[in-house]
Amino acid sequence: MKEIMTLIRRHQVPATKKAFEDAGFPALTIQSVEGRGKQGGIGGWAAEVDPELNSVMSPDFADETRFNWIPKRLLTIVVQDDQVEEVVDVIIKTNQTGHMGDGKIFVCPLKEVIRVRTGEVGREAVV
Amino acid sequence: MKMIRAIVRPEKTESVAEALAQAGMPSLTKMHVFGRGRTKGIRIGDVVYDEFPKTLLLLVIEDEKLDEAISVILESAKTGTMGDGKVFVTEVEEAYTVSKGTKGL
Repeated sequence: MKEIMTLIRRHQVPATKKAFEDAGFPALTIQSVEGRGKQGGIGGWAAEVDPELNSVMSPDFADETRFNWIPKRLLTIVVQDDQVEEVVDVIIKTNQTGHMGDGKIFVCPLKEVIRVRTGEVGREAVV
Repeated sequence: MKMIRAIVRPEKTESVAEALAQAGMPSLTKMHVFGRGRTKGIRIGDVVYDEFPKTLLLLVIEDEKLDEAISVILESAKTGTMGDGKVFVTEVEEAYTVSKGTKGL
């Protein structure tokens, strides 16, 4: 089993949930988090319009305001080993805009899963 | 790659993030959590406080940066008293960047 953790834009959550459902992965956990990527947050008033503007604008126009913590959603979903590729594809297809801030996907190994209600372990516990 | 989950004091969040950025690791995610440690919380009079607000910092880094990241976190989150937090390290097999669709951090 693998645990797939993905950080995505807030407004993409409904679309991602729908895409997961259509692909047959209805179970997921959603957390509200704040974070930043390798750009270290976004800065300047222009970032509110489009983060990419900062790189093409002259520095005189940019101001000191910076957003160090950008609100994101962290989705955690547990799947079988052979389903990882499919889920990663679904996430990328649904969330890709091509601009920075689309998010990251992390695939982590998972030792054991236990369903609390029945005590099932392993494969059966994940559906 | 490794995932570091560091539970730190909320008031130390900014200094840890700043120290990591100085060390060349600006990417991280924070979330607000509640928990207790092995002291089982503290008792003041009749009241037991055992759900302390903490910040969970989550970052994924390359293996060779692990030791540096941990030492930066330990240094910047330290006050020397109980409740400074814990650092957990787990394995990450793959990472993808959604905007480019590429593999890797």
